[in-house]
Amino acid sequence: MSDREVLVIGGGPAGVAAALEMARGGLKVTLCEQGPRLGGAIHRQPDDPSRRVRVPKAQRQRWQALAEALAASPVTVLCRHMFAGVEGSGAVLLEDRASGRIVTRHPAALVLALGGVERATPVPGWQLPGVVTAGGLQMMMKSTGRAPDGDVLLAGSGPLLVAVAAQLTALGKAPVAVLERSTSAVSLRALAGLIRAPAYLWEAAGYLLPLTKAGIRLQRGASVRSIVPAGDRLSVTIVDTIGLEQRLVVDRVALHDGLLPNGNGTTPAPNGPFTVLAGDCREVLGGVAAIADGRLAGLAVLARLGQAAPDLAGAAATLRRERRTQSALNTLFDYSGSDAAHLPDDTVICRCEGRTLGQLRGMLAAGDRVSAREIKLNGRFGMGACQGRFCAEWVAAFVASQRDGQPPQVAEIVGSRWPVKPVPVSAFVDLPPSSPSE
Amino acid sequence: MSAAHFLSRAGWRVTVYDSGVVASGATGSADGAVSVASKKPGPLMTLAVAAVRFYEHLAETGVLVDEFISRSTFMIASQSDELDVLESQSAQLEAAGVPVRLLKGQSLAETVGAAAPSALAAVEVQGEGHAVGYRVVERLRRLGGFTIRRHCRIVGLRQSGGSVSGVVTEQGVEPADAVLLAAGLGSMDFLAGSGLIRPRKGQLIVTDRAGRDTPRFPGPLMSCRYLVSKGSHPAGKLPESRSLGLVVDPLRTGQFLIGGSREDRDDKDTADADTVASLLRDAVALSPSLARLRVIRVFAGVRAATRDGMPIVGRVGGADNVWVATGFEGDGICLGPLMGHLCQQMICGRPADQDISALGADRFGLKLADAA
Repeated sequence: MSDREVLVIGGGPAGVAAALEMARGGLKVTLCEQGPRLGGAIHRQPDDPSRRVRVPKAQRQRWQALAEALAASPVTVLCRHMFAGVEGSGAVLLEDRASGRIVTRHPAALVLALGGVERATPVPGWQLPGVVTAGGLQMMMKSTGRAPDGDVLLAGSGPLLVAVAAQLTALGKAPVAVLERSTSAVSLRALAGLIRAPAYLWEAAGYLLPLTKAGIRLQRGASVRSIVPAGDRLSVTIVDTIGLEQRLVVDRVALHDGLLPNGNGTTPAPNGPFTVLAGDCREVLGGVAAIADGRLAGLAVLARLGQAAPDLAGAAATLRRERRTQSALNTLFDYSGSDAAHLPDDTVICRCEGRTLGQLRGMLAAGDRVSAREIKLNGRFGMGACQGRFCAEWVAAFVASQRDGQPPQVAEIVGSRWPVKPVPVSAFVDLPPSSPSE
Repeated sequence: MSAAHFLSRAGWRVTVYDSGVVASGATGSADGAVSVASKKPGPLMTLAVAAVRFYEHLAETGVLVDEFISRSTFMIASQSDELDVLESQSAQLEAAGVPVRLLKGQSLAETVGAAAPSALAAVEVQGEGHAVGYRVVERLRRLGGFTIRRHCRIVGLRQSGGSVSGVVTEQGVEPADAVLLAAGLGSMDFLAGSGLIRPRKGQLIVTDRAGRDTPRFPGPLMSCRYLVSKGSHPAGKLPESRSLGLVVDPLRTGQFLIGGSREDRDDKDTADADTVASLLRDAVALSPSLARLRVIRVFAGVRAATRDGMPIVGRVGGADNVWVATGFEGDGICLGPLMGHLCQQMICGRPADQDISALGADRFGLKLADAA
């Protein structure tokens, strides 16, 4: 075995697959996961093994195979180790959440398998307590094995909405309604794409049948127009395809508008190790593709470090097939969100800093063409704790819509600085100086 | 941008050329201290006093209203060997007419005790302030009156008969009656001579917002070691602490800005864990309550430092209509508006409100480069 360490960040399917591939190729691999257990978002393992959310069988089997292979491998697993970024001299920073300290590593290569970023497009009131993302709600259910208290409304677009609705229903807490913004019918092209991947149809059927049986309202072409507090509940105005408004009072609203690759802290650092992205973090293609992509990332590292690498034509073919399937699936959904032209000025855009659409409009109103950097610094968009992870894409798209062409780059708004996520000051205090420079 | 503001008010048609976007240099990465406390005794300290007054004037007259906050700076000695530095700097400030208050015993405990429990003594430097560099620039931009050309690099100056007649951009030559070089390190691209200004990197840390359990900070706390790091005070017996000078600044947002380093290098896009950890160690030693906060961002910037530690402001040799304002190192936010105003006076041929002969370009014999 080579004594050069390679580091994999993210204990989901892409990270585990990458770690296994590199360990098989003779590298010394350390796999870091920020949570208490491996699994990632898709295979999130419960806090209490007896309280488990039902997931499709094929999905469960995929994880079981990975977990068994990992247990039999020499890969070192570090849970509760959060990737904080690559600092200026090239060291990888990890926050060891058990000891509360920053630890540094100097791996020969780094695989980032951080998963995708869940999108939710702005609507008035989405910053209120009680408004969550559907993916976040699903993570909570997978961890605790319990549904949240109170009435839940699911809204937005994407296959995750029905999956979460089915999981809520299975836990005895059927959602009040599921609003899917898209009105597009299943086209022949989409159908052809999906039939080639029947697992998706089975998965969809597995979610939809119980919903139908439970009489859950699945409304297509409907979306949330605004959310306002109603006592300690939320009053949600819903609009349908022909513009009719309706009001629902619920305890929780779970929004979801698809997933994005993760551009936060994933740009290779100037002095950093050879870095490869894997899984949804690189391209949102789902769990099956993540395993194939993880293996390919492992292969890229093996090749780079001069280790013998196996032929992974099968993984590349899987990736191509999943890409076709995802693009067919995407035609069924509408991730565009509310038309910004109709959003009121007080709509919060940056939830970290509480910055509004009116403030963004104000910055663009002058004849002078302000740059993305000025929008960021003076508008404070992307200056909060998430460093623009949740608002940069939307801000860039809005600026582009106000100016013909020449959109600012999302990268100018999203931070490329470490720490990727906030790290306690106390975690740095014990960091030993790397070299005596006094 | 300040010079553009004042020149446009004096009737000039002004264009600001920026090779990138405005406030993208040190201005966008500065701590925002409008402070005399750390200035080197002598002309720089005198000018800083005038610069703070000028900020107050701009705030009162509406130009920088809401962008300049008056407050005190607190210089803290937390080791016995720092007491000498504290006393000496305090005496210099007093001599320059800056109101200072020595805090010891009861007054120390009441003022900074909660924020810095291990302080041995402190000096409150009154009548200082805070202004965020990029916000000042944004305010001046919004007030308008001049044109900004972003991503428009000046590749040369067109010279004829002892004057500059225009600036050469990648799009062609544009006529000019006067040129002010205020491009930080980039100003030297147009001037003869090398090694006069060097990059001096600084790293800063931003925390999340403090909770209710964080003690109140009376203002920015400046460790006496900062003065040593900055070179504004002879090192004496103190160890040269690899040029890290600690300032803990409570921001208006409720966040803290912790800085900073002085390093002779120019990689402004990277912050290193070693420096950040050292600063945070010092910060927590001074103010233990900071340990409960989280670091949300670290960043670096590069200052333009001159050989003698003084800015260069004045007319450039070799042409009768070219001026320069650069080399402010860490004092650009403090001095910027005043210097913009003084540059306007010089360019208009009027006597300057302040004596800036000590900053003159002639002390280095600065001339336009032949190729400029």
